[in-house]
Amino acid sequence: MKKELVKLIDLSRCTACRGCQVACKQWNELPAKRTKNFGSYQNPPDLQWNTWTLIRFQEHEKKNGKVDWLFRKDGCMHCTDAACIKVCPTGALYHTEFGSVSMHADKCIGCKACITACPFSVPKYNAETNKIAKCDLCYTRLQVNQPPACVQSCPTGALQIGAKDAMIKKAYARAEQLGGDANVYGDKFVDGTHVIYILPEKVNVYEHLPVDPKVPLEIIIWKDVLKPAGLLAAGAVVAGCFLHYITHGPKTPDDETTCEGGNKS
Amino acid sequence: MKKGMIKATGPFERVVHWCVALSCLLLCFTGMGMMYHSLNGLGTMVGGMGNLKMIHNFGGIFFAISLVFTIGMWWKEAGLFSFPEDWQWIIAGGGYLWHVENMPEVGKYNPGQKMFFLVVALFGAIMVASGLIIWFPFSFAVSLVRMMYVLHALGFVIIFAFFFVHLYLVTIGAPGSAPAMFTGWVTKAWVKKQHPKWLKEMEEDGTLVVYGEEKHSKKGRC
Repeated sequence: MKKELVKLIDLSRCTACRGCQVACKQWNELPAKRTKNFGSYQNPPDLQWNTWTLIRFQEHEKKNGKVDWLFRKDGCMHCTDAACIKVCPTGALYHTEFGSVSMHADKCIGCKACITACPFSVPKYNAETNKIAKCDLCYTRLQVNQPPACVQSCPTGALQIGAKDAMIKKAYARAEQLGGDANVYGDKFVDGTHVIYILPEKVNVYEHLPVDPKVPLEIIIWKDVLKPAGLLAAGAVVAGCFLHYITHGPKTPDDETTCEGGNKS
Repeated sequence: MKKGMIKATGPFERVVHWCVALSCLLLCFTGMGMMYHSLNGLGTMVGGMGNLKMIHNFGGIFFAISLVFTIGMWWKEAGLFSFPEDWQWIIAGGGYLWHVENMPEVGKYNPGQKMFFLVVALFGAIMVASGLIIWFPFSFAVSLVRMMYVLHALGFVIIFAFFFVHLYLVTIGAPGSAPAMFTGWVTKAWVKKQHPKWLKEMEEDGTLVVYGEEKHSKKGRC
């Protein structure tokens, strides 16, 4: 197994040039779709099946009354305890040797379970192909020791990729350097994500960023409790029936009335 | 058909029973093919997991229609308990679990059958509703869809377990029962053992149909 990789996103260095957004589309051959201006430089409004990474633009009023522009590169977090992989019925979504979450598109049956399960609302459905699509951390590039297209394109050093431990260490060092509310996001939930943020502001300041993301409880009950329970219950019933048969015995019609068809007397 | 057999079910009843039973089994197995990765081979058998999902989805519609007929047909006879005799039967475990001296006489459906019917009706409806929401998740709130996955899996656990109880009882557990759902004719001895009160009711009402005899016969043979 190769070393687990982590993509580090230092939002304090992001200038929202959206080079990563374009590079992602170029490398993954994702078409652009016509969108409507909704009063923001952010475009498109949300992640789409053809937009696997997106710079979110957010106006944030600081305590001193000044307005700050917050940029956040959104996309798949590549969870270790990945809800999408947990619910995928066909094994289309899987963990690569780098710890990232990739996808066998040919196996996807468009059931949309991953869309419901993902705590980050990342997978998107393509009605034309009846498949979901999302960032795979440029798996084909990682395999040949190339950084993902987004990292390659980033002009400010806001994006970098490297060994998990080294990146986490770097993240904490940078957060400390930034001071204030700066914090590291990603290493402490869902057993650690393979995309980690350095957030200059508190987590709850950022829109569409869950403060405490986890595999939804319903998914855990479904996959970790009811799924094995289905087989256990059926097995217990079969065993119980067999025990009943060999101990209590079947309920057969009484001997004196068992003349077949009831017409032989 | 041997003379003296007693008519237990009509053709409509049997057709509805097998519609709901076979579609339920189809849904169990296609659903398991999607829930358990080790059973993904079931998808390969039908040309891919996508086809398995389609069979599950449209099989579900067939099941839903069958379920409507099932409930409409049986809820009066099998959906309502009659106290106190049903309660006595339940306390005695139906005479299936330990030796019981004086079992209350059972009518057309015993409380165990009634419970099975109610479980199929209730969880069948839950499976249809949750299944439709899971099928079209974008039309509903994410939190609702997540809960539907739990309900759908719970319904499977219960229905699948109950299926084996049903299978055991109609085969080796209570021999003589299965013909009621194949030919529709059962032996008088079986009716006397399993549903004595029903037999009396039919004899009194003159609704007893005995093969090879004129209708409305009150003569007990054998």
